[in-house]
Amino acid sequence: MDETVAEYIRRTVLKIPRDEMKTMLQQWGFLSEAQLQTINFHQKKENVSQDVVQLCEENSADIKQAAVLDMIYNYMYPNKRVWSVYQMKKKGDETEFFDLTNFKKIFKRLLQSALKNVTINFREYEDNAIWIRIAWGTPHTKPNQYKTSYVVYHSQTPYVFISVSVLKSNLPLLCQALLVASSYHDICEMELRSHSLNSLKDIVFKRYSQNFQTYNPRPLQERKVTPQNDLRIIHENRDEKERIQRVTWEAFGDGPQPKLEFAQYKLETMFRSGPKMDVLDKKEPFRCLVKFSSPHLLESLKSLAPVGMADAPLSPLLTCIPQKARNYFKIREKRSLFPESFSSP
Amino acid sequence: GLLAHLEVLEADAREASVKQEEEEKLEALKARAQKLRLQRDQLLAKVSLQQKGHPEDAGATAAPAPPSAQDVLEWKLKSLKSTLQILYLTGISGKLTPRGVCFCISTAYQGTYLDSYYLELLSEPQVRIRRHSIPIFIPLEQISKKYLQTDIRHFLSLLSNHLNAYVGRRYQADQLQEHFSEQIKGTLQRNSLCNLLVFNYDVSARSKTFPFRARLLYRDLCCSLPTEVTISCTPEAPASLVKVAGTHSDLFHRVALHEAFRSFSTAE
Repeated sequence: MDETVAEYIRRTVLKIPRDEMKTMLQQWGFLSEAQLQTINFHQKKENVSQDVVQLCEENSADIKQAAVLDMIYNYMYPNKRVWSVYQMKKKGDETEFFDLTNFKKIFKRLLQSALKNVTINFREYEDNAIWIRIAWGTPHTKPNQYKTSYVVYHSQTPYVFISVSVLKSNLPLLCQALLVASSYHDICEMELRSHSLNSLKDIVFKRYSQNFQTYNPRPLQERKVTPQNDLRIIHENRDEKERIQRVTWEAFGDGPQPKLEFAQYKLETMFRSGPKMDVLDKKEPFRCLVKFSSPHLLESLKSLAPVGMADAPLSPLLTCIPQKARNYFKIREKRSLFPESFSSP
Repeated sequence: GLLAHLEVLEADAREASVKQEEEEKLEALKARAQKLRLQRDQLLAKVSLQQKGHPEDAGATAAPAPPSAQDVLEWKLKSLKSTLQILYLTGISGKLTPRGVCFCISTAYQGTYLDSYYLELLSEPQVRIRRHSIPIFIPLEQISKKYLQTDIRHFLSLLSNHLNAYVGRRYQADQLQEHFSEQIKGTLQRNSLCNLLVFNYDVSARSKTFPFRARLLYRDLCCSLPTEVTISCTPEAPASLVKVAGTHSDLFHRVALHEAFRSFSTAE
């Protein structure tokens, strides 16, 4: 077995948390159950990984099989990477029949014909998600297995989730391969980035809870508003509190919000001063960058008004994030102060 | 500890409030009964007065009192609620919003209620979609470009057909995976729209099993039955199995997937 492969397997196993090691190795399926029984998972992690490497040596693992373990790890811990969303556009109206085998064949062929040294792995999951792992090389060097790109694609959707490694130069080729394999004709990056892959999916696939008004004869899940029967507690500003609750519900809905870590607003607006104060000689746009960061941005925005830190209703610039599917905004001096955006579905 | 004690107190308070609520309800009902008794007495008095005044009309029934405004309102509400219920059962229901309408498309397949999808439309300056929860792989943009402005009824019915067919196809594939997993060899290959299914399954003949490979293509997105079915078997399979493949193919064309499989297992 190649030394680089051994080292790669060793490092990948070390990344796995101890409790998940056995499950992931079982999922990998490269080592037999009998072989797994021989490993003592309670010893130091370095020793466990050495044992695994030893067993892989016996089975003569190659880099493609080692890559599968990396994919399993990244599928379980996708939040360790930053994901960007790309949108593809179609030319015509034909119905697509998305043949998975065809997709994989075309994608692989395109990449391998352009770059001889590239490792490509595919893995499909229950929710129609196709995971692609690509390790890039050059015509003269072997693929770098430590700087991989991951692509997640759901068939027959125009969205691709890409976690690109440092090597951005391979991005155009990757996009080209995706377009041809999935029969779209144009791709562009959306202004939507996050660590949480599932939240990005929720936003673009519209799986987050939007509050639609309907006459639903099924009984609604009422939020448990326990009536305070204790007469010693007096609620001041009850009307105002209810108004804030209602406005917040209208803006954010009932369910859990998708998880984003930041929202960035780039202002390129003119400085508005009073008529007497001419601060700037030249009428230039005032450049400013406002960035909101949070472990869970949308939940914290949702709670701003109810805890009293902001007035309700919140600025539409903040509440439109899931609907406009973007968390990077450019605000220019136009007729309306609304952010510029291409039509998102 | 302290928290446990607090919890006990909280539980007591809750019980007390529930009891109080029940008592209040009882009081309200008693008051209503009282009121009705009073009404009855009044009516009885009226009747006896009439009997005294006009003994020949004693047998005749009093003219029915005109329905009170309350009664009319209640009747209107009841009939409106049942209309809404009926509309909901048709699968497309709507509610007016300040700036337009919000539609709810409910889907079902063979008597099982499946998902509901929402579509909020604005009416000014022209009919357009404000937001929706339609899955991204349904060709909403295509359909709305063609029909949203011109024929909204057709738009809604076409969208509803797409959604119902999609959930129908998905339901069949899910049922197949759930109930016939032993017969399916390997994974069931599907896509988001569930309009292309490829799977291998075993067919037994003369106490031997032969693998069949089925490829179902659903060209019509508004239909939950396939338009093309290709079943292939290995070259070593006996000639009789080729005929079986033909019958299977025909069955997949006509009948829901999981029902077809159910008929296989009953036939064997």
